[in-house]
Formats: sequence, C-alpha cells, structure tokens
Amino acid sequence: MSILILAEHEGGEIRPATLNVVAAAKAIGGDISLLVAGLNASSVAEAAAKIDGVAKVLHCDDAAYEHELAENLSALVVSIAEGYSHILFAATAAGKNVMPRVAALLDVSGISDITDVVSEDTFIRPIYAGNAMATVKSADKVKVVGVRTTAFDAVADSGGSAGVETVAAVAANDQVSFVGQELSKSDRPELTSAEIVISGGRGMQSGDNFVMIDEIAAKLNAAVGASRAAVDAGFVPNEYQVGQTGKVVAPNLYIAVGISGAIQHLAGMKDSKVIVAINKDEEAPIFQVADYGLVADLFDALPELSKALDG
Amino acid sequence: MKILVGVKRVLDYNVKARVKADKSGIELANVKMSMNPFDEIAVEEALRLKEAGHAEEVVVLSIGQTQSQETIRTGLAMGADRGILIETDDLLEPLAIAKLFKHVVEKESPGMVVLGKQAIDDDSNQTAQMLSALTGMSQATFASKVEVDGDHLNVTREVDAGLETIRVKSPAVISTDLRLNEPRYAKLPNIMKAKKKPLEVIAVADTGVDVSSGLSVVEVNEPPEREAGVIVGNVAELVDKLRNEAKVI
Amino acid sequence: MTYTAPVKDISFVLNKVIGLREIAKLEGFEEATEDMVGAILEESARFTGEVLAPLNSVGDKEGSTWSESGVKTPEGWKDAYSQFVEAGWGALAFPTEYGGQGLPMCVSSAVQEMWHSANMSFGLCPLLTQGAVDAIHHHASDELKDRYLPKMVEGVWSGTMNLTEPQAGTDLAAIRTSAEPAGDHYLIKGTKIFITYGEQDLTENIVHLVLARLPDAPEGVKGISLFIVPKFLVNDDGSLGERNDLKCVSIEHKLGIHASPTCVMSYGDNAGAVGYLVGKEHHGLMYMFTMMNQARHAVGVEGYGIAERAYQQALSYAKDRKQGQTLLGKSEDDQGIVNHPDVRRILMTMRSSIEAMRGLALECAAAFDIAAKHPDEEVRARCQRRGELLTPLVKGWSTELGVELCSLGVQVHGGMGFIEETGAAQHLRDARIAPIYEGTTAIQANDLIGRKTARDGGQGLMELMADMTETLGQLEKADNTNLKAIAKRFKVAMSSAEETGKWMLGQNDATMPSATSVEFLMMMGRLAGGWMIARSAVAANQLRSEDGADTPFLDAKIMLARYYAERMLPLVESGKTIITESAESTVSVAVDQL
Repeated sequence: MSILILAEHEGGEIRPATLNVVAAAKAIGGDISLLVAGLNASSVAEAAAKIDGVAKVLHCDDAAYEHELAENLSALVVSIAEGYSHILFAATAAGKNVMPRVAALLDVSGISDITDVVSEDTFIRPIYAGNAMATVKSADKVKVVGVRTTAFDAVADSGGSAGVETVAAVAANDQVSFVGQELSKSDRPELTSAEIVISGGRGMQSGDNFVMIDEIAAKLNAAVGASRAAVDAGFVPNEYQVGQTGKVVAPNLYIAVGISGAIQHLAGMKDSKVIVAINKDEEAPIFQVADYGLVADLFDALPELSKALDG
Repeated sequence: MKILVGVKRVLDYNVKARVKADKSGIELANVKMSMNPFDEIAVEEALRLKEAGHAEEVVVLSIGQTQSQETIRTGLAMGADRGILIETDDLLEPLAIAKLFKHVVEKESPGMVVLGKQAIDDDSNQTAQMLSALTGMSQATFASKVEVDGDHLNVTREVDAGLETIRVKSPAVISTDLRLNEPRYAKLPNIMKAKKKPLEVIAVADTGVDVSSGLSVVEVNEPPEREAGVIVGNVAELVDKLRNEAKVI
Repeated sequence: MTYTAPVKDISFVLNKVIGLREIAKLEGFEEATEDMVGAILEESARFTGEVLAPLNSVGDKEGSTWSESGVKTPEGWKDAYSQFVEAGWGALAFPTEYGGQGLPMCVSSAVQEMWHSANMSFGLCPLLTQGAVDAIHHHASDELKDRYLPKMVEGVWSGTMNLTEPQAGTDLAAIRTSAEPAGDHYLIKGTKIFITYGEQDLTENIVHLVLARLPDAPEGVKGISLFIVPKFLVNDDGSLGERNDLKCVSIEHKLGIHASPTCVMSYGDNAGAVGYLVGKEHHGLMYMFTMMNQARHAVGVEGYGIAERAYQQALSYAKDRKQGQTLLGKSEDDQGIVNHPDVRRILMTMRSSIEAMRGLALECAAAFDIAAKHPDEEVRARCQRRGELLTPLVKGWSTELGVELCSLGVQVHGGMGFIEETGAAQHLRDARIAPIYEGTTAIQANDLIGRKTARDGGQGLMELMADMTETLGQLEKADNTNLKAIAKRFKVAMSSAEETGKWMLGQNDATMPSATSVEFLMMMGRLAGGWMIARSAVAANQLRSEDGADTPFLDAKIMLARYYAERMLPLVESGKTIITESAESTVSVAVDQL
C-alpha cells in the first residue's frame, strides 16, 4: 500500500495537523508520501522530509498553491494520484475544502473525519454530532479520507529522512482568486492544537466578559474557545466555536465556563483528556461529561481561579 | 440568474440520535425530522440574493424519500419559487448526491448553487465541493458573506484561523456556514401559498445517474461514554485537583 | 425554561380524534388539509418556542410600566410583536376578505394554545384583537369594517374590549359611560377598568370597543350600545389623524400576567372621545354576547396552554433532579425523582388532564366550524348547540383545572418550586386570572345550567350523552383490556352525570342548583374531557394495528386515557353526591354566622 498525504503549512512551517494525519497513515500502514504544495516552500519540504514515518516528500512550487485554493490543490493531487491506495487529508477547514473534490474527480466516495482505523479499508467515523460511531468499509480503488486530527496522536516532526522530489504544477484555475484574509490576532496557541482550552458560553453574557477568560488563558497558555450559543450571541467570532459545526478539540485540559453542554457542543470537546465545568446551574448537562465540576457563578469563580493560578 | 438550493431532511436538531438495536443505523421511524439547519441558511441566502435583485428564481432541490417533499415545502414557505424532489428510499453518499445535483444543474443551468456546508446527520461536509469538482463551477465553501459583483462573487469564508475572502467567477457553488445569515420564519400566507407552488418529483432511476457507492456502513455503535466525575466545593479545591490529581496544570 | 410545542399531540387530536379531514371538506375550509395544518403547526411551534417563549420570564420580572407618555412593554416585546405581525400569525382565523387566512377555529385554537404556553401575557394582545375583529366584522357597517378591519387583521392595529367599570363588573347593567350624538359620530365620556392592553407601545393604533349609554337609553342591559373608539382618529385615506380624547391613567399591579398591561382607561376628559356606533343603538350587549362563546373558548385554551408549559417544566425537572432511591428507577443513572411513583401520579395527572382539555377545546371549536360551514341546516344547528354547550366547560373547567395543574407543577419542584427564579411559580400566578376574566367560573356554571341546558330542555345535553354512549360501545367492543378498563369507569361516570342532571332540572327553587352549579360544571367538564381522551384511546387502538405504527406513542395515549378514567372520572361519581347532598348545607348558615 502507498499513502499520499496533502501536507498543510503556513508561514513556512508545517501545521501540526499534518503530524496527526501521518499518524493515521501509519495506522493504515504502507509507504507514506507527503505532498507539499506552495510558493517558495522548499524549507517546508525539507521540514516535511524529517517527519517521522514519511518515506517521500513531493514538492510542488508554484504561485497557484500560495493560498490553498481548492481547485488548484485538488487538480494537483489528482495529477499525481495514480498508484496510491490512500489519499489522506486533515479534517481542517483547508483539508475539508479539498478532500471531497479529489474524491469526486477520482469518482470515489470521500470518507470524512475518521477517528479510528480498523483495517486498510475500514474506518470509524462519528455521525450525528458524535452521538453514534459508524464503521464504514470502502471498496473503492483508492480511499480518499479526511482525518480527525484529535483522534490520532501526532508523530514526531524529526527523525525522518525522506527524499524530496519535485513534481510539476498543474495549470491554475482562472475562475477563482484569493483576495485577502483577516486572521484572528492572538498570541494564544491555536485552538485545535492547544494543550489547554478554556471556552465560554452564553453564561458569559457579553463579549466584554471574555477578558476574564483571556486572563486565565494567558496564565495557562491556553487557547480560547466558545460554544455556538456564544458565537450566535455575537460575543466572539466563529473561529472560536467548538462543537459539531465548529472545531473539534481534544486537549489535555478543557475548561467549559458558563456552557450548558448541548450535545452539539459536547461533540466538539468530549474527547478531551480532562474536562472541567463551571456553571451555576447544577443540572446543566455539561456536568455529566466533566471530570471536575464546580457549581458556581462564573463571575465569582473566574476572578478567584485567576488569582489561584498566581499562587 | 436562477439559484438552486439543496435541502436535506434530517433528524431534528433537538432530537437525540439513538442507535438502532441491530446496529444498522439510527432510529428514524416516528421521530421529528426537519430541514438541515445549514440548508435553512442556504435557502435564506438565496432569498436575500433574489430580494436584492441578483436572482429571478430560487429552486429548492431535495434528494430522498417522499417525505422530503415536506422539507421542500418548508423552503417554498420561506419564499422559494419551486421545488424538485429526486425520490429515493436509499441513503445516498455525497458523491451520488453531487452527481444528481449535477444532473439538475445541467437541466436548469443555475448561476449559483447554494448548499449547507454539512448535514447534521452524516456530518460529511462533501457535497458542495464534489459538485464544484464535477461541474467545473467555482467553489466557495463555508461562506460567511456573499457579495455579487457582476459575473463574479466575493465570498468571505470561515477558515480555521479567521476569515478569508476569495473572488470566484459565476456560476459558483457556495456552501453556507453558520454566520452567513439568520434564517427567517415562514410567514403564514407563504406557508399556505407554498402548497400551490410547483413541485416536480423525479425518480432516481429516471435521471440515468449512477448512484452506486463504494462505501458501505458495516455497523453503527453508541459512542464510548465518559465516566462520571466529581463535583468540587470551591475554586481552591479545583486548582488543587488539577495540579495534584489530574496533573494537567 | 424552554417550551417545545407538543405538535405531535395536537396533530393527533386534530387528525385522528376530531377528524380535521371532514372539516377540510367544508366549503371555505378547503385549505385546512392535514398537510397544510401540519406545516402551520410546525412553523408556529418554531416561532412560539424561539421567539415568544424566551420572553416569558423577562415579561414577568420587568412587567409593563406606565408613565404619563404611555405604557411601555418589557424589553424585547416590541420586536417580537412586529415579528408576529410580519409572519401573519394574528390573521389565522380572520376572514379572507380583510386579509385573513380564513382557517377553521379548531386550527386557530391549536395555534393559540402555543401562544399561551409560550407566553400568556403576550398572547393576550392578539387574543383581544381577535375579539374586537369578530365584533366589528359581525356587527359594524361596511364603512367601519373597511376602515378598521384590514389593519386590525394584519395586526398593526390592536383591539380592546371595554366592558367593566368600577361599579359594573359581572353586572353590566350598571354601566354609566355615556355617549352623546355629535353629527356622524358620538362623544364618549367615562372610565373603564381592567382593560387588557388598553395602552401599549406595540401597535400604531389601538381600536377600543366601548360599551356606553346613549342619553335616551333605557335602564339596564337593554340600554347599552357598542362604540368603536380609536386611540388615533383614522382619516378617510386610512392614515392616522389626531389623538383621540382618551388615555390610560394607570395600570394595575397584579398577581400574574405582569407583562400584559391591565389599564384604567379614561374617555372624554376634555371634549369627549370620538366614537362610532357599531350596529344599532342599544344592541351593544347582545353584540358582545355573540362573540362571547369565542372569547370564552379562547380563555379556556389559555387554561390548558399554561398548564402544558407548567407540565413541560415539571417533567424536565423531575427527570434531572435526584433525591433518594426511587422505586421505579432501573439503574443508578436512572434515579431522577420522576421515578418516584407519587411524582408519576402528579405528572400523569397533569399530562392526561391537559390531553382531555385539549381534546374538548378542539372538539368544541370543530363544532363551531361545522356550524359555520356545513351545507345541511340541521347539522349546523346541532353543531351550534354542541359548541355552545361545551363552551362553558372549556372555559370554566379548563381554567380551574389549569390552575390546579400549575400548582401541581410547583409541587414537583419541591422547595425550588416556591422560589421565583425556578420559573414554576410564574405559571401558577399567570394561570390564576383565567377562571376570573371573560366570566368567572360561577358565570360559566350559570350559563351551562341556564342558557345551555334548561333553555333547550336539555336537548344539547342529551345529544352529547348519546354520542358518549356510542364511544362507550366502541370502548366495550375493543379487544384491549385497557379500553375495557376505561369503559368500566366511563359508564359509571356517565350514569352519575345523567342522574345529577335530572336532579338539577328537577329543582323548583333556583337556590339549590345554584349552590352547587360550579360543581356540576366541573363534573360535566371532567366527564366530557374523559369522553375526549377515551376517543383518543379508541383512535390509538385502531392505529396500533397499522403498518409502521408508532407503538410507544399510541400505547402512551391509551395508558393516559386509562389513568384519566381511573383517577379523574371517579370524581364525577363523587360529584353526584356533592351536588345532590351539599346544596342545602351550603346556604343554610346565616351570613352573620359566617
């Protein structure tokens, strides 16, 4: 078997998600090739070659790949797909944008968001916001798969010594172009790869009150998240959203503050190692998944917690 | 311009999914079904584009059982002009759905197709991307803002680190994210009018589209349950437990 | 606390028990097919659950407030009301010629239940508008109809009913508000109290319907006329003109429905408020009575609507709350207090009673629908009798029972129920008005015994009993032990009621029946509710044998009916003893001995 992975990178560095995908590929077994497509991305290709378990890096440098446009990336993947038994993507916004295109262009089913590998052709994936786990089996000639990164422990980004080959670019699609981006400015770790996440819900009552969460996040070097209710209420932007329709996280510690724990939110965080819930409603469903629950008014508890972390 | 919108009938957002005893799937008999929430956002966006003068007609397409007509009627009650149901009792994979959409796109030539980014049943998040790949229509997924600029669209997209804006040439396939809009409530007179709006029903077999799939569901299981935790008395105790028991801070 | 409209239960009653399909066959009701009504109920459920229900608690806490410049409704009310109007919910049952949808009353009642469950204080505004629209539509001149109805039907203008005065409550003969002829209009002067939504900031105009006396009017109820008195005068082109000479001088501080402003209205402090006569002089009270059945029915719907909300809240609490080892819980994780048998008793009492009341109210509404549209005059007359007979039961019994059920809802919460923050107490406080306004329970009882029973020599009642006997036959015939158990209690209850009815009609002195008339009303309510829930069991039993039947749902319907038969129908039997034996002692103690 041989597995092709579309590597993700930004700012000249491999995104951590790719290391989780490599882990999933190792669980499937076989030769692992990493495709690094970008502009001036040689350093990324070199870094990719060092990732544990990678046999080969395919490097394609072209302006078409500067901005992860789905049309261009999928065309490139398809152009080199011949001979691979599996093509893997991270189930990130970027990966989800490309994976189904590749599947469709190869006329095979896409397999979204796998959380476990049963065998080379059989995978487990959550459905219904994680209320059920489906075991799916693919008879397709090539398995095109999205990998839920939180479900696979990242491989080391060193220790490997893969060769780097250059591959030719495919003509860029002229119907789409990148205009710009507006990235959240935060010196906090990225939500999906942070060791600790602290999230606020509707109980926060306003966006301004999130400073209390930020303060604690700074002390714990944690990422800040939010429930859909908090996003809907306009407290914080959508990229904070943890849940079925937002991001899936599985940090070592997840602190849910003023979040009732709707199933849609639980879908995004219940695989966290340790879950803490702070909520004044003792009947809130979040307490059913929490390892440590604190029934308290968050407006008392957060300042106290912040102080306690100083000590 | 004509806008084609996809609507899927799914287990209602508020109903907890229960795995069938024989592990073949989720219990869907006699439970409340509704329009996929992202599809409501898709219908809303199409209607707003029409109301802003960018489109003349909004067509809703559903693929599924006869009862999906109700879901189409919901879209018509919101204000869409007509509906198409491609009827099938099988649970089709996104690839087959995308091929059937392509079939309709070829017949209807819409200037835009708006789809929900994912259905809350299978959580696949594939159909829009596949449709774009199969038809060559431009792709703009996870949209949080859609601006029409002549024969181009400027679409702001939700990405993991924030927002990005891309410019795509029409015809395009858009998939909706949460913040794109807030769907309207259907007005009573429109609910009543919806029944009189045209709804064409086509059998899957009559489309000539190959809907076979290489993917099969072996079984469906309950997710593993987390063990119950403890309630701590105060913040000091919480911090102590996190430091010394769980050792996570 | 959230509210999820029981669409499945409501649809079951409409489709399987009262037979919506037959009503949709009537000319003018063709739109009311099961599909269409299903879609309407779904959207109404969404709207009431997402928009109205979240405002219920804030409405209670904040209440409407009065100042010189007017009445301010609570935060969020105005926006919700404009959404309500925009969606067209107010126009559901109104005539199509004025912009309504012309749907049957059974459908509008089903939708209105949701308003009241979600937010009773809010629901009162459109409810009053509906009463005013009905009065104008039936009795006013075409010119007045054209001028006022379209905006009222749309909901951008509201309507109010001005009957009560400080000295004239239940006894409207004492009304003193005066109307002086002044060219094409009249000048109204006087004070009205208890005017629901008499002033508010939700609508552009408020159309007050005011009972007043002309200078030459005969004494008593035959000298009262009905006037349209708008807050802002309406120009010929339909635009709003001058502010009329009327104002809200204060609002009441009440036990419940805090968000619904109960106004003291002062008319004609200066030159006199401009009013327009509705219909003929001195016919005002009669006009009011023609819509009384509808208004009373609507308040009955409020009665169980609020109880439904209390039930949902109690059920949710009972599932979550853990106290002690339960007898019915199957595992450690299954120890919510809902598994204590006594909590089950309360929840079953609430649920089965609500279903009985809902069945009765929708049956009553359907009777009025058939009475309005059926081609056969005899059928129309029979259904009119049925609707009128059931109306005091729907109003009197459902509102009294609604209060009891809301109180039981508090009980499920234990001490938490007594704490306002929990929200259970609000339902009880809100529910308490329903047995009072639109005619107290005693008035309903008089109406049942007098106008609705004695006047037609018991014809309506006998027809009802005949229909009940038919249901009894179906229950006895069914091959189902639960239905047979229902039949057993239903049969005894029927004969108790029949004997009591004979006793009532056989009394020569009005004092005796009058002393126990409310008990008779409650008895008949319980029995009629029992009939409806028994019919739902019959329907459920038939549906059970169909392919793909929703067995758990249908089995629950049957068991709820059996619980009702075994727990509530015996009260009909004891009612007979109470009525026939307690009348004398009720009135035998002299006032100064009290």
